[in-house]
Amino acid sequence: MTTAKTDEVVEEQAAPSTPSDQRERDRMRRRLARRRGGGWWPYAFLAPWFIGLFGLTIYPMLDSLYLSFTNFDLLTPAQWVGMDNYNKMFTEDPVFWDSVHATLLYVVVSVPLKLALALGVAMLLNRDLKGIGLYRAAFYLPSLLGGAVAIAIVWRQVFGGDGLFNDFLAWFGIKGQDWISSPDTALYTLILLAVWQFGTPMVIFLAGLKQLPKDVYEAAAIDGASPVTRFFKITLPLLTPIVFFNVVLQIIDAFKTFTPAFVISNGSGGPLNSTMLYSLYLYKKGFTDLQMGYASALAWVLFLVIAGFTAVNFIASRYWVHYDD
Amino acid sequence: MGHQISRRTLLRTTSGIAVAGALGSALSACSGGTGAGSTTSDLTMIWWGSDDRHAAYKKALAAFQKKNSKIKIRETYSGYDGYFDKFNTNIAGGSAPDLLQMDTALVAQYARKGVLAPIDSYVGKSLDLTGFSKTLLAAGTVDGKLYGVPSGIGVNQLTVNRTGLEKLGLKLPDREWTWADLKKISQDVYKKSGGKIYGVDDGGGSTLQCFEVFAREKGETFFSDDGKKLGFTPATLQEWWEFWADMRKVNASPPPAITSAAHNDLTKNAVVIGKALFSFDSGIYGAGGSITDAQLDFLPTPQGDFSGAREGNFVNGGVLLSATKASKKVADSVKIMSFFAQDATAIKDMQLLRGIPPTEKARNLIASGLTPTDKLNMENADYISQRVGKATNALPAPVPPPQGADQIWDLLFQSNLAVAFGKKSIKGQLGEFFDQASGILGG
Repeated sequence: MTTAKTDEVVEEQAAPSTPSDQRERDRMRRRLARRRGGGWWPYAFLAPWFIGLFGLTIYPMLDSLYLSFTNFDLLTPAQWVGMDNYNKMFTEDPVFWDSVHATLLYVVVSVPLKLALALGVAMLLNRDLKGIGLYRAAFYLPSLLGGAVAIAIVWRQVFGGDGLFNDFLAWFGIKGQDWISSPDTALYTLILLAVWQFGTPMVIFLAGLKQLPKDVYEAAAIDGASPVTRFFKITLPLLTPIVFFNVVLQIIDAFKTFTPAFVISNGSGGPLNSTMLYSLYLYKKGFTDLQMGYASALAWVLFLVIAGFTAVNFIASRYWVHYDD
Repeated sequence: MGHQISRRTLLRTTSGIAVAGALGSALSACSGGTGAGSTTSDLTMIWWGSDDRHAAYKKALAAFQKKNSKIKIRETYSGYDGYFDKFNTNIAGGSAPDLLQMDTALVAQYARKGVLAPIDSYVGKSLDLTGFSKTLLAAGTVDGKLYGVPSGIGVNQLTVNRTGLEKLGLKLPDREWTWADLKKISQDVYKKSGGKIYGVDDGGGSTLQCFEVFAREKGETFFSDDGKKLGFTPATLQEWWEFWADMRKVNASPPPAITSAAHNDLTKNAVVIGKALFSFDSGIYGAGGSITDAQLDFLPTPQGDFSGAREGNFVNGGVLLSATKASKKVADSVKIMSFFAQDATAIKDMQLLRGIPPTEKARNLIASGLTPTDKLNMENADYISQRVGKATNALPAPVPPPQGADQIWDLLFQSNLAVAFGKKSIKGQLGEFFDQASGILGG
């Protein structure tokens, strides 16, 4: 393939500049025709991707858009109800607002904490120590386990009334409570779980830190800049593109969080809907309460909200993200 | 052991491992289950339960196949978590199982949506229901048609940690006890245990196990007959919540954090963790045996101690076996239902794993082989069903719960919790409860 391509480029460049004899041109035309005849090959290789895109993404999305205007219950045919689902959501569904509240709180608290921790640890790990690879792996490990159901179950045990966390507090003479089953603290155990899984942004930060020019730091050190000054005046500004990338990804991820909330609350979103993250509510509506039309409407609202947040991020980034050139 | 055998109990018995387990079985079922309605000639059957129930079903089905070698059965089983989610998805995708274990709480909903096959035409022919009482069959009857065969008698029972009670020098209350008796002994438990153990788990949000009984004592039902409204008045619910607020105040019942932790998680039940001696959740001793080491005993839900109180207890149908309408093998499925209803081997295999057996004949068959706790369980259930049978002032057995019932039950639980955590006043929550409930049932 590569050689053919180079050939073609050469010929195309050559063609106008050397309008030599007819035979030469015929030969070229034949070659191009042969190549065009073989043009379906790339598409054949791309086909699985196209089938996936249309069959598993675009078609289901359009279908769910249609269903969001129906009262589809999975078992009987869908009936058109217009904007009913959307109206109901905003006007008469208190649980919807509970879930919006829980999700926004989750996003707003967990994302900055997670990124701050990720950056902090990335800076610690950006050194030439003996066995540094091992440390890096160790810090990344929670993220590998993160999405797993098992970890969420462990979390439930750790923060339960007779869990490890309270045993730990007991050493300091503090009497704990059941963190998972109190409406005031349950969501924060989920946030803690999210923050603990800082591995992915950490690796990205680490890669970014490795790219920073050493000479700038050397110059700053000679000028007597303190480590704190160096961090805020050099590291952070130079790293803003990476920070931006992580912010966008993590916000999107946080909005979609499902598994830990589902497992830790036993699928209930409780206590008192305090852990009813949006995706969990959507799932409950669709598969447990058999309101797939309503769930589809919820999904589209989520889609629009995530798109909105991302757009705002991109617009705001003009004012704080610095690119080299 | 009424609805809650079918719903709460099994759902909770398995819930600790179920999340992981259900996912696993869901996956494996996906790969194998899609052929249900298509080319293969196997009859597909699904159920939920504990390991003990799985083993019993398999044993009984093996016995069935020995006698009916032409019917090949493909079995898929899991915990309660995700069971109906998967069933819904299968129905929507056109790959419904032929025969399934159905929840008495959900049968009306599925029957009305046309998912289940009516089986009246088989009764007396290939479906032998000799010995089944009419009230029992009501559990599978929706709008006058039979959609499922009940597996056994389900009654509401309180589970009691008798060992714990005796340790404190307290006696098991009489079966003819009242709500006031419950309060008194629960307070005694707290006092005698030095404040270490509360009496009874918080029943304020516990729908099927106790509030429904209380409403019936008042002459009110949980749902109206047509299932479009609630059958009880705000005054009744207010009185109920006030009773439990008082129970928490005098330490007869545990604080809300304990109640909340037990939601959907039987392993955190106040009796199981040793924080209470009485539980409305019969799942502690449900299908698959006990999850505590204590010697357990059983009591009917207390009676009303106000004037004009009626018999509030009722008899329900355990779980059901139902066939799906889309299935081409309804006749074969009915044969299996009949086998579980009448065959001696099947009855002996299932023991109490699907509730107290439905007929006198079946109860006699298993009586000799029961464990001491199983025996106590069956005796109390027998006592309740006889008392209900004799009562002249009892309301008819409840209608199968309408669509949205799940959400209402959850709402009741959450509402009681909101009051208990001090987030809402009883009056304030009462208004919200009725508003939301009418939205759920109406919409």
